[in-house]
Amino acid sequence: MCDFMKRIIGKQIVLLCLVSLSANAELMSLSDNDLSEVDGAGIGLVMDDFAFSHGHSPSEDKIFRITGIKDSSGEDVVINVNQLYIARAGSNYGTNIQGVNLGRLTNPYEIDLLNGDDIGLPGEAVLELSAPKKVALAEGYDCLDVNAVQGSGTCSSRPASASWVNGERPDMGLELEITAGAQGPKNLNFNVQSAVFDGSYLRLWGDENQNKMAAEFRLNFYTPQLEISTCSQVNQGCTSSIKMQDFQLELALGNTFQPLYIGVDNLTGGLTLEISKITHEYINNISQASGASDGSVQGNEAYAFFEDFYTNSAYRSNISVGNLDISGTSLGSSKVEGILIQYMDVKFRDLP
Amino acid sequence: MSKRIVFILVLSIFAFKAQADMQSIDDEALSSVTGQAGVYLSGEIAINEEGGPLENSYFGACDDPSKVCGARLSFQTQQDGGWFVLDNIKGSISFEGLTFQVRNISSGFGGDGALFNRDVMEIGLPESIRMNDFQYTLATGSSERPTDASYQQVDFMTVEMSGDLTLQGNLLVFPTP
Repeated sequence: MCDFMKRIIGKQIVLLCLVSLSANAELMSLSDNDLSEVDGAGIGLVMDDFAFSHGHSPSEDKIFRITGIKDSSGEDVVINVNQLYIARAGSNYGTNIQGVNLGRLTNPYEIDLLNGDDIGLPGEAVLELSAPKKVALAEGYDCLDVNAVQGSGTCSSRPASASWVNGERPDMGLELEITAGAQGPKNLNFNVQSAVFDGSYLRLWGDENQNKMAAEFRLNFYTPQLEISTCSQVNQGCTSSIKMQDFQLELALGNTFQPLYIGVDNLTGGLTLEISKITHEYINNISQASGASDGSVQGNEAYAFFEDFYTNSAYRSNISVGNLDISGTSLGSSKVEGILIQYMDVKFRDLP
Repeated sequence: MSKRIVFILVLSIFAFKAQADMQSIDDEALSSVTGQAGVYLSGEIAINEEGGPLENSYFGACDDPSKVCGARLSFQTQQDGGWFVLDNIKGSISFEGLTFQVRNISSGFGGDGALFNRDVMEIGLPESIRMNDFQYTLATGSSERPTDASYQQVDFMTVEMSGDLTLQGNLLVFPTP
């Protein structure tokens, strides 16, 4: 290369560096407050004609195994996953795997960045992962009925039908063969028919006061039948089972002023789950004996806050079973409604 | 010398002009862009099948049962807290027929297609996918690295997968309002 070209290239590199330095100087970090003003379009996700199945079957050169678990007497536990599947409703315990849709084009699964100002988290940017949203009764479908028609409920996902064979409600199953130490293998299977997750979401944000990742988790799970059985892999329909028909779970963990913190202990290395106790900055303006406000503006504000907390159904969890059937014996319906978590502190640790 | 300076200045001006011509494209403009064809991919992803580059008190060769030879990913959700760990990741995943394309949807989907009537990014799941001795361990740890002093790790479980998977479908990705 001639001397002239070398000098030109050398000076061009210096100039380009100067330009890049100038560009660098214009890059500015965004605070949570700045990010909270961002209200961009979310990303919609729909699985079209989706099916998944895998299982442990050495004769077919398939391995699906869970290890590293010990039982209470310290024996190694080996779990062969006979089948894990997600398929169209009517799969007959995963023996007939066909495609199902997850989410609707008009109401998909979503990844979104929310403005905290709109959901009670001023100045925060909130990442939301959500299932299809619940809709008005006139537009929705019953969440449990496999023959539901429009106008029968508040779920958006539709059951499979003659006119829409895929449907948006999958069958799901986890069929396990558990061997603990020298004991013989035992089966444990979980099979769910026509499952619906509408209205579920996970919101994540950074708690500046605690320096922790905070979360609000809402899990809605509806199925016409959740079956837990000890049947063998080839006889999933055996009577050794617990069938929970018309099963509904609406689980609320954490909320905007009482977040769920998911972390790890920095000494034991154990998982920690924490929900701080409910409080308010003017809690001292409320009588601890009667719960009444002391009549001040602060007391009335605190009273209104706690009244909303104790009466708002959005903060409460519900579990409902339409009919509990154990090995063919019906035990009728059962419900646990209005569970309110006021404080939770769970720490996991390895047993010696 | 003056010619060189002029040459440099001209090049610099071109650089700035190119920068000035860059314009952002909004969603509406992007929606009118139609690709000529999709992409069809086949391949194999292998992670630490024969072991990783580190050799210390924790990591080592795969034929040494006292050492971990797979890859490790750890992340933290609180300042000065412990770490979530995806440990001993190794094995390979081979696939054929992973596709990417833009698809216009204006019908089907139980009547939703006509209402939707837009383009989506379609990621077609592979026609065949096979795992070869793929495994990972879910765990939590007291600090970032397993070689740190007083390190404690709680292993929840190790998942091992091999063989052909039954997998079908298309992931449709699109902007929402």
